[in-house]
Amino acid sequence: MLGIRRIPTSRWWHKKKNWQFFAIFLFLVFIRISKGALYKDFYYFISKPFWPGQFQKEIVLESIDQEYLIKLNLLEKDNMRLRRILSLQESSNDEHISAAVISRKTGSWWRQIILNKGSKDGIEIGNIVVGPGGLLGRVTTTSLFTSSVTLITSPESKLGVWVDRIQINGLLVGLGDDLPSLILYSKDADIKVGDFVSSSPASTLLPPNIPIGIVQSIDDTLKSKKTAKILLLAKPHVIDWVQVSKVNI
Amino acid sequence: MNKFFTKKFSIISFIFIPIIFLWHPNWLGFLGAQPYWPLFWLLPWSMINGSINGLIFGLFLGLILDSLTLNESFTQIPGLILCGFLFGRIKLNSDIFLGHFRYGLICSFGSFLCGTLYFLQILFRNFSDSNSLMLIPMVKNILAEVFLTGFFAPFICSQLLRMFKFSRRKI
Repeated sequence: MLGIRRIPTSRWWHKKKNWQFFAIFLFLVFIRISKGALYKDFYYFISKPFWPGQFQKEIVLESIDQEYLIKLNLLEKDNMRLRRILSLQESSNDEHISAAVISRKTGSWWRQIILNKGSKDGIEIGNIVVGPGGLLGRVTTTSLFTSSVTLITSPESKLGVWVDRIQINGLLVGLGDDLPSLILYSKDADIKVGDFVSSSPASTLLPPNIPIGIVQSIDDTLKSKKTAKILLLAKPHVIDWVQVSKVNI
Repeated sequence: MNKFFTKKFSIISFIFIPIIFLWHPNWLGFLGAQPYWPLFWLLPWSMINGSINGLIFGLFLGLILDSLTLNESFTQIPGLILCGFLFGRIKLNSDIFLGHFRYGLICSFGSFLCGTLYFLQILFRNFSDSNSLMLIPMVKNILAEVFLTGFFAPFICSQLLRMFKFSRRKI
């Protein structure tokens, strides 16, 4: 007489567990979309007792003095050149924010550091990060309390650079190891081991004359271009304090 | 409270994987590489809860870890999903001594799988540029990661497996 009715609890949407999984999945998608901002802020609070202490600042200041000497030479040269070319655009980067490194990934696949200053301190995406010695990278994401920096050694980093001695522009490409590669699209470029590399005056991402590194080895086996390994002046795996600068090019 | 922590230990430890991933202690590294931390959690979890659970939590781990790394074009999800699924098909071994070394071997294999899948993505993305320059440091990364993961897995996985089993028993 009566047909056998399907038991309603057998449907998948009647199971509480499935909804729990779905809720977790939605939450994780939210974390993914917000680029881990929640996690990074949580990490900010729990890592606070382990941040680098004040004594580190003295070591950093010594290195900064050395960096300034190199920078001064470059700026003097640059200034003379700019005086000759009156119509050149002015670059200013007078706003510096000091920040401590609270997480670093300087080996393996990911080349990034996380700083203890975020959007509430005025850090914005695209700001440049300089450590004792020279350029470290650019700010890629910010959360309220932290900011993540893509290092110039990262495979995602590609920057315009300037070889001062031979007055030529090149492209600095991160390869995922400690020595990024400088690519010069001219087979005749007279680059030598020991040449100094700084940020390019033609770059739209960086202000000019930030020290980057020194040519360590040259590979001229390629037909159309020359490549060179660059030894960075700033060492991201040991630096605990950095300066974040706003870029107005 | 204590009962809550014991019962939910697996989930609480899951939350802390990204924190260890961010911590990235240099003194624990080898040639600049670190052990692949998520596998240490994923192996015992999948062995106890099966392939489907392993696959789902592989996806969850991948989502979180991708959000913490800045490489927008590359993802860890395929490697972790595959590892979660494969780890779920492994049966528990009664021999404790043999089990210890098995964890090392399995995690090394998992790390190799994840590393290779990640490397292939980088290679594919930079196909036209300078992939020959990238080859050596990337292979070095994979090998260092495989070694470290295999080295630490027997210690960490067996402890986590014991704790997960303990948290699942009826209190």
